[in-house]
Amino acid sequence: MGKFQKNSLRMDKAALVKFFKEVQDQFDIFLPYEIDKDDPDNLKLKKFQGNDDFVINKYRTIDPLKSLFYLSSESVLPPTAKEDKRIIAGVKNCDLLSLGVHDAALLEDNFVDPNFEKWRKNTYIISSDCDAALSTCHCNILGHKPYPNTSGEDKARFDLNLSLVDDNYLITVGSEKGQELLDLMKQVSEVDEPDNYLLNELERQHEEIDKKLEQINEEFSPDRDVSVVSKVKDGEVWEELCEECVQCGGCTNICPSCYCIIVNDESIDDNFKRIRTWDSCQLSGYARVAGGESPRDRLWERFRNRYQCKFDFIKQNFSQYGCKGCGRCISVCPAEIDLREVIKALQEV
Amino acid sequence: MSHPNPYDVQKAEILDVIEESPQIKTFQLKLEKPLEFETGQFVELSVPGVGEAPFTPSSSHYQKEEIEVSIMKTGFVTEKIHEAQKGDIFGIRGPYGKGYPLDKFKDRDILLLGGGVGLAPLRCLLQTLIHDIDDYKSITVCFGAKTPQDMIYKDQVDDWKSYDKIHHLCTVDKCKPEDNWQGCTGVVTVLLDDIEIDPKDAVAIVCGPPIMMKFGTFSLLDKGFKEENIYLSMEKKMYCGFGECRHCVMGGYYACKDGPVFSYDKIKDVEKIWE
Repeated sequence: MGKFQKNSLRMDKAALVKFFKEVQDQFDIFLPYEIDKDDPDNLKLKKFQGNDDFVINKYRTIDPLKSLFYLSSESVLPPTAKEDKRIIAGVKNCDLLSLGVHDAALLEDNFVDPNFEKWRKNTYIISSDCDAALSTCHCNILGHKPYPNTSGEDKARFDLNLSLVDDNYLITVGSEKGQELLDLMKQVSEVDEPDNYLLNELERQHEEIDKKLEQINEEFSPDRDVSVVSKVKDGEVWEELCEECVQCGGCTNICPSCYCIIVNDESIDDNFKRIRTWDSCQLSGYARVAGGESPRDRLWERFRNRYQCKFDFIKQNFSQYGCKGCGRCISVCPAEIDLREVIKALQEV
Repeated sequence: MSHPNPYDVQKAEILDVIEESPQIKTFQLKLEKPLEFETGQFVELSVPGVGEAPFTPSSSHYQKEEIEVSIMKTGFVTEKIHEAQKGDIFGIRGPYGKGYPLDKFKDRDILLLGGGVGLAPLRCLLQTLIHDIDDYKSITVCFGAKTPQDMIYKDQVDDWKSYDKIHHLCTVDKCKPEDNWQGCTGVVTVLLDDIEIDPKDAVAIVCGPPIMMKFGTFSLLDKGFKEENIYLSMEKKMYCGFGECRHCVMGGYYACKDGPVFSYDKIKDVEKIWE
């Protein structure tokens, strides 16, 4: 993918809105919109509403990207993913990286999930850089940036990336599909080349957001040793850490990289569908077999499992961590359990 | 390019149902197309509209079009499976997981240690071993059950015993005088006191309830079996069978993909393997 040049083109917001308007008959377009002025964690993916109210910059949405690729419940027999082409715009790097976990697990391993494959194939991802951060954001301490890596071997899995600088979008093409989008953009909107000022300004913005994340997470060391999740086996330590957990499973449902499912049949008259539905390892019945045995009967064992899965098991399976630092599990937790604090506490044992 | 749907099933018609015990039935199934499986691999069997559950066939992999599956009634799906009659249709997909490493068993003494419905996969193995019996030094079968009524495959014991290389031992946890039980009483590990093979180079294959697997493994180690020669069938919750649902994850392993059979040396450091 080295042939695509980084930030080589520019368009303004009016041109982008014009593009979405022109192609909304060809694509289902999803964009982040603000849903609540009082809470900063207020961006939600919604269908394009025909105006310029969407927010492509800022930070991640409340809903994880997986909710559009690996639906909370969908039929696998027969598979029901739609053929319609989609554009999802404003996707942040934490979600792109999490999509990488799903690609590894659901496409590139020993089987291919039929729905995920189809959604993935028909979707064009327009990612964008974070230029702000929530107090829960912590991609930096996992070694990631709040903007996609746009070049090299470990280039992020976007089709187009837009970096917002002073009302201008700097465009990077990331794939053939991205090139396809760009060609469409050029047909309906004005696309030209950015000047040096914008390129320098983008660099300054990146430095600024990097620094901001460092400040937010200054208590948490960037080279923290996450292997503590498996090394610390003392139940009392874990019990204390999950004392407030109400076992709602919100952390796993909202996690963009969690993909555990149950498979059930649903009868419809004389016919049936086989449905896969998100499951949560935090729930007590998760690993229980028909005979009644469960390897994780106690809450602290299930609580620990989530940390081990993210920072040990997924790493063993797919050579990457199952947490990309989006912080949604922290925001959603009714008990205000902070993953960063948990790991810090384990490191101090 | 579209890939095959891993959830697709083929039809399996029930040719016959054998009542093995009050809780266990063996279903003889005729498949639409041959199931290319290896001994020790498992399938997902489904009652359409009810759901699926994983089972290891109890017949040898030399039978590919008509297979047998012995199933204990333990939960929602197995209860519905037990209600099925001759002529009914199940769905079947697979095979999944890895088979027993039969190559490593060649020219060695083999011990099968099983309890309850754990005898089902072991009978698949036993039938495969019998098919190629010249390849193996000896086969010792140690089977246990709760009561004489719970002991399955009783009608096949005479056939197994007719082979010089097969030594068959069995025990029940308890029995009543009216059961007329001729075998041992006590948990299955008591049979290990009577085996006549040299454990240093022998292989043991263990399948049964978790508690039996645990004490069976410890007894085998005490006897002098090597960790890498003890093979365990791990019973974990599985929905998909191929690594998507993650319910069977044991540390870095999946019971479905990397197992369901593991040698003890591979998993002994994984937490909670016996639960």
